[in-house]
Amino acid sequence: MMMSIQKSLSSWFKPISCSLLATLMVGCTTGVRNPSGVPVTQINADERGFVAGTGIESQDLVAVTDKMARSILSVKEISQATIPPRIVLKPVENKTRFPINKDIFLTRIRSELNSKAQGRVRFLAREQMAALQNERELKQTGQVTSNSNPNVQEFKGADFFLTGTLEGMTTRGTSGTSDYILYNFQLIDARTSEIVWENSAEIKKQGLEDAAYR
Amino acid sequence: MPHIANFESHMFSIRRTVALISGCAALLLSGCVTDSGSGSAMPTAAQLNKPPTKDRVLWNYRNGLSALRQGKQEEAKLQFDEAISVIGNIFGSDKSAKKSRNYFNEESKKNFIGEPYERVMAYFYRGILYWMDGEADNARACFRSGELMDGDAEKKDYRSDFVTLDYLDGYATFKLDGDGSDAFKRAQEVSKIGQLPTYDKKANTLVFLEFGTGPTKYAGGEYGEELRIREGRSVVRGAWFKTGNKAIRIGAYDDLNFQATTRGGRVMDHILANKAVFKSTTDTIGNVAIVGGAITAMNRRSQNVGLGIIAAGVVSKIVSAATTPEADTRTWDNLPQFISFTALELPLGSHTATVEFIDAAGRIVPNLTKTVTFTIVEQRDTVLFVSDH
Repeated sequence: MMMSIQKSLSSWFKPISCSLLATLMVGCTTGVRNPSGVPVTQINADERGFVAGTGIESQDLVAVTDKMARSILSVKEISQATIPPRIVLKPVENKTRFPINKDIFLTRIRSELNSKAQGRVRFLAREQMAALQNERELKQTGQVTSNSNPNVQEFKGADFFLTGTLEGMTTRGTSGTSDYILYNFQLIDARTSEIVWENSAEIKKQGLEDAAYR
Repeated sequence: MPHIANFESHMFSIRRTVALISGCAALLLSGCVTDSGSGSAMPTAAQLNKPPTKDRVLWNYRNGLSALRQGKQEEAKLQFDEAISVIGNIFGSDKSAKKSRNYFNEESKKNFIGEPYERVMAYFYRGILYWMDGEADNARACFRSGELMDGDAEKKDYRSDFVTLDYLDGYATFKLDGDGSDAFKRAQEVSKIGQLPTYDKKANTLVFLEFGTGPTKYAGGEYGEELRIREGRSVVRGAWFKTGNKAIRIGAYDDLNFQATTRGGRVMDHILANKAVFKSTTDTIGNVAIVGGAITAMNRRSQNVGLGIIAAGVVSKIVSAATTPEADTRTWDNLPQFISFTALELPLGSHTATVEFIDAAGRIVPNLTKTVTFTIVEQRDTVLFVSDH
């Protein structure tokens, strides 16, 4: 009798202990994901990365500034000008809900135009005025050499101002967050105040957080 | 006599089996304990200075605010920028969040971004820092994002009801030659201090104030599955800002206790409640099975069945013990209770101001008075941040 009980005990004890040990092993293998980390992945600035939000990102910057630079070059005040027009950049106003480095848009447009317009436009370095004036004063007082008469005013005036606004509209609900951003740029005639060119780009993004964050 | 010997032998076998199962269970449970417990080895100095990934934003919050209070603005900007880069981009799949929804992982396994009132405050402080740098539009962007973070409240009345954020959104717009009247109207509708000061384009000194100790979190419910807020306390209820012949009394625009306690239920609360029900149910099933199994096993004919039921009960108890419905109580614990703001026009040049914090009766609270020295320059706002901390 006892033998049969012990036999039956051992017969069901084995599978249970095995299943417990299996559970133990499985349970303890979880915890650390990507234990070796994720290697650095290089992607193009105009690609959407795996880290993304609904705000302004590099692919938006590239798309918007490429479009604006191409569009500016087709304006007749630029394309048909006998003397390359001189442009001053005026800071963009950010009206969205995303804090950004506002200079980055105009910097990229300027860079695109300077590299691709083959001298059809010139930009004035107004943000360097303090250093430029200081250099000129040094030349005027003879503290440094000069290849031209430093008393002649050679700082150029602007023919156009390039500026813009970023405007946004946000919707948030149980189904997620939606952000629409309107990127608007203008070229303003400095003499007449006319807006000689204006173009815009629109980008809308939506997303929903994990339930653990809601 | 042989019968008694057989019975004792049976009981010994049962006890041994139960002991073995219990041993396995203990092994199972102890095997799954992570190394974050108090019994782990002492962390190194490098580990102490580096937060776990899941707590990085919490450290950013705390360190950013500490830096701002110490006047280390560059450090504060770095901290808040890092935090905002996370809390603004949490859409879609998140492994840590997914893990925290699992029955067998605590909510605190997820990457911390804080409750809405905490996220709002990160944007609020970053907005102040932008305005200090003369970037009123980026400051406004932060205030707007902050308002959005506060838009999750269960009851409509409590959504996006930070007075300060709407008021400052309007003020920044007004300063940038826009129309800030809509934002002012929204701020006025939720104001608890009566009529808000109208915007003054000539105001060149913006004073941000904070005082008191902010709310903290704790876990309630049978298994700690309910996230609850312990309200902060503050003797201070306002302040006098005095400079030259000007003295302005400033009341609290927003109370973080109110903001923290009016959010209502979270989606995560339902998940935690389900976890708690699962834990309770599996525990009860375990109890019933063990007792029922033991009774069944007393009968020689149904001994095997009884032992099987006991084993099932133990497994159920193990599952119950491994279920973790505890709410995440990590808290941005150096927040103030109240925030406030005032703007005034001062002549160009150097100024010294005193900020006297006052209690509910208008008495000056001793030992909290601060002296601030600042310079007003042309065509730019001077932004002051004063804390009673």
